[in-house]
Amino acid sequence: MKPLVSLVNIVKSFGGKGKALKVLDGISLDINEEFLAILGPSGCGKSTLLRIIAGVEKPDEGEIKSYSDIVYGFIFQSPTLLPWLTVLDNVALPLLAKGIDKNIAREKALRYLSLVGLHGFEDFYPNELSGGMKQRVNIARALVVEPTILLMDEPFSQLDPLTAEALRAEILDLWLSGVTTVKGIVMVTHNVEEAVLMADRIIILTPRPAKIVKIIEVKLPRPRDRRSKEFQDIVDQVYEYVS
Amino acid sequence: MDVVTLFLACLASFGRMLTAYIISLIIAIVLGISMARRRYVEAILMPILDILQSIPILGFFPIAIVLFLIFLPKNIGLELASVFLITTSLVWNMIFGVYSAIKSLDPEVFTMADVYKMKRFSKLAYIYVPVAKVAIVANSVISWAGGWFFLTSAEIMASGSEEHKLFGIGSLIIDFYSSGKTTEFYIAIVLLFIIIMMSYIMIFNPATNTVLQQHILLAFDKIFYYIYKLISILWGFIVSIGIKIESRRTSFHLATLAIPVIALSYPLRSNITNLYYLFLLEFIKNFLLSLGRVVFVVITSFILTIGIAYLAIVRRWGSSIVFIGEILASIPAILWWPLLSPFVVSLPWLVSFIVFLQGSLWYEFFNVILFGVPKIRVEVLDLAKIYRIRGFSYFRYILIPSLMPSIASGALSAWGGAWNASIVAEYFESSGRIVDLGGVGSMLSRYTYSGSYGYVLFTVLLWALMIAILNKVFWSRVFKLVEKTFIVE
Repeated sequence: MKPLVSLVNIVKSFGGKGKALKVLDGISLDINEEFLAILGPSGCGKSTLLRIIAGVEKPDEGEIKSYSDIVYGFIFQSPTLLPWLTVLDNVALPLLAKGIDKNIAREKALRYLSLVGLHGFEDFYPNELSGGMKQRVNIARALVVEPTILLMDEPFSQLDPLTAEALRAEILDLWLSGVTTVKGIVMVTHNVEEAVLMADRIIILTPRPAKIVKIIEVKLPRPRDRRSKEFQDIVDQVYEYVS
Repeated sequence: MDVVTLFLACLASFGRMLTAYIISLIIAIVLGISMARRRYVEAILMPILDILQSIPILGFFPIAIVLFLIFLPKNIGLELASVFLITTSLVWNMIFGVYSAIKSLDPEVFTMADVYKMKRFSKLAYIYVPVAKVAIVANSVISWAGGWFFLTSAEIMASGSEEHKLFGIGSLIIDFYSSGKTTEFYIAIVLLFIIIMMSYIMIFNPATNTVLQQHILLAFDKIFYYIYKLISILWGFIVSIGIKIESRRTSFHLATLAIPVIALSYPLRSNITNLYYLFLLEFIKNFLLSLGRVVFVVITSFILTIGIAYLAIVRRWGSSIVFIGEILASIPAILWWPLLSPFVVSLPWLVSFIVFLQGSLWYEFFNVILFGVPKIRVEVLDLAKIYRIRGFSYFRYILIPSLMPSIASGALSAWGGAWNASIVAEYFESSGRIVDLGGVGSMLSRYTYSGSYGYVLFTVLLWALMIAILNKVFWSRVFKLVEKTFIVE
C-alpha cells in the first residue's frame, strides 16, 4: 500500500554559524495508515521532527513527499488554549481563521467537542477546566480541521496517570472506530510502555543528533494487556535500543 | 464671556486629543506587534523608542514645523502639527504595553497559530489584540492624562516672534490668564476639569473595568455600553472582512507603517568650533542640573506610590485613589504655574517640583496600581498575615518585592515623564513674567520660544545621546536584575 507521506533524509540544525547544533541527522520514514510512535530520549529532536512534518519548521535538507492532499491536526504537549476564548471558540479557531462562516465553524466544533466527551462545556473558559478536560479541548481542536494525519507531541505527559490512561484508550477508540477523518497518527513520546500500548510501529531514535536506530513492529491485537508476557517481551526488546 | 466659544473650544481640544489617541492606538498596535514578533524590528526600534519617550514634546517641535507647516496650508498644517505633538506624548508607553504583553505570551501559542495556518488578520483578531487588551486600556488611562498635561504646549506653538495659536481650551485658558481675566480663567479651568472627568468616568474607566473584568475604577457604564457595542460591531466587521480577504489570497500584507524621519540640517556658519564648545559646556552643566532634579523626582514618585499602594491594598481605597490620580494627572502642566501663583515668586522651586512630580509620578502610580496591585499573589499577603510581618519588614520583604516588576517599568516611564516635564517645570513665561530655573528643559523651551531651531536640534540630539547612555548603563541593568529575581510565577 502506498504511504500517506514519506520523509526523505531530513536534516536539521539549530543555532547560527560556528556553533550550529545538529538535531536531526538524515531521517527517512514512511507514514502509512497506521499508528506510529517516535521514541527517543529528551532533547533528541523528536518534537522538531513533528514540527517539520506539520510544516511549521523547514528542514535544512531533505523533503517531505505527500501523495495526496494531506491535512494535519496537531495535539500539543500542553493544551495551548487561548484563555480569552470560550472552549467552543478555541476548538473552532482553526476554522474561523480560514474564514469559514462562524455558525458553520461553531456547529462543527460542537460536534467534535461532544466526540471528546465535553458536551455542555462549550461556553466555559479554559481556566475553568481541569487539566484532562483542557487536553480534550486540544484534541477536539486537532480533529475539527478533519485531518488525515494526527500529530501528537507527548500528549499525555502532563496529565495525572489515571487521566492519561483514560485518554489513551479514547484516542485509540476514536481512531479505530472510524468516526473521525484520521487515517494515520504520529505520536512523539519518551514513554516506552505508552508506545508499546498504542503503536503499530515504534521508531526508536538515538540521542542528538537523532538517527533512526531501530523500527519495531507491534503486532499484538488491541486492546493490549500491559501485564501479558507478549507485551512485556516487546517492552524489553524496545529497552534494548533505548540508551 | 461667550459660552458658545468656551464650549466650542472644549470640543476642539477634545477632538485633537481623540484624534491623537486613535493614531497612537493604531501605531501602538502595529509597532508593538512587529517589535514583539520580529527580532530585527525589536533590535532597531527598542533603543530608538527608549530615547524618544524621554524627549519632551517641544523636542519634536522642529520636526512638526518642517513636516506640517512648510509643506501644507497653514490652517491644516497647524492642526496636524498639534495632533502630531500630542501623539508624541501619548504613544510611547502604549507601544511598550502592547509589545511586552505579546512578548510574554507562551511561544507555544505561536506554534499553534502556525500549525493551523492562521494569517495576519486571524492572529490580530484572536491572539494579538485579546492578549494586549489589558495593557492597551491601562496605558490609555496613563496616556490620556499625559496628553492633557501637555495640551497647552500643543495648542500654542511659538516660533520666534511669531506665535501660532490654535483655537482650544488650552490656549483659551492661557489667554485669560495673560489678559488678567481671572473669572473667565477659573471658569475655563473648571470646564476643562469637567471634560477630563467625564472622559474618564464615561470612557476610559468603564473600558478598564470591562477589560480587567473587575470593578476597580470609578465608572458610569450607561453611555460606555453603547460605545462598547459600536466598537465591537466595527471591530467584528473589520476582522471578518480582513479574514475573508486573506483566506482567499495566499499571502496578505498589512501595509507596514513607515515613520518618516526627516533629517534636518541647520548650518551654524560662523565661529563654529568655539560656539559649539561653549554650547556643549552649557549643555552639560544644565543637563546635570536637570538630572539631579529628575532623579529626585523619580525617587519621590517611588516613595509616594508605595505609600499609596499600601493604602490601596490594606485599606482598599483603590478606586477612589485612582480617580483622584486620573484627575490630578490630567491637569495641564502650564496651569500649575497660574494656579500656584501666590508661591511663584517666593517659592518657585516648589512649584517647579510639583510640576515635575505631575509629569512623572502618575506613570509610576498607574503602573503599580493597575498592573502590580491586582497581580499580587494572595498567598504572599496571607504569608505576611500568618507570620505577622509588619512595619518596615512588610515593605521590605512583602510589598516592594511583590510589586517590583511594575515598579521598575513604572520607574522607567516616570523617568521619561520627568524629562518630558522639565520643559514646563524649569521654565514658565506669561504676560511678561519669566521663571527660569535653568536645566536642559529650560534651555529647550528658551530656544523653542525664541525660534532658534538650530539650537533646539542640537539640544535634542545631545539629550538623546545622554539618555541613550544612561539607559544603557543604568536601566538595562535594573531590568536584568528584576527579571532574574522578582518575577514570581
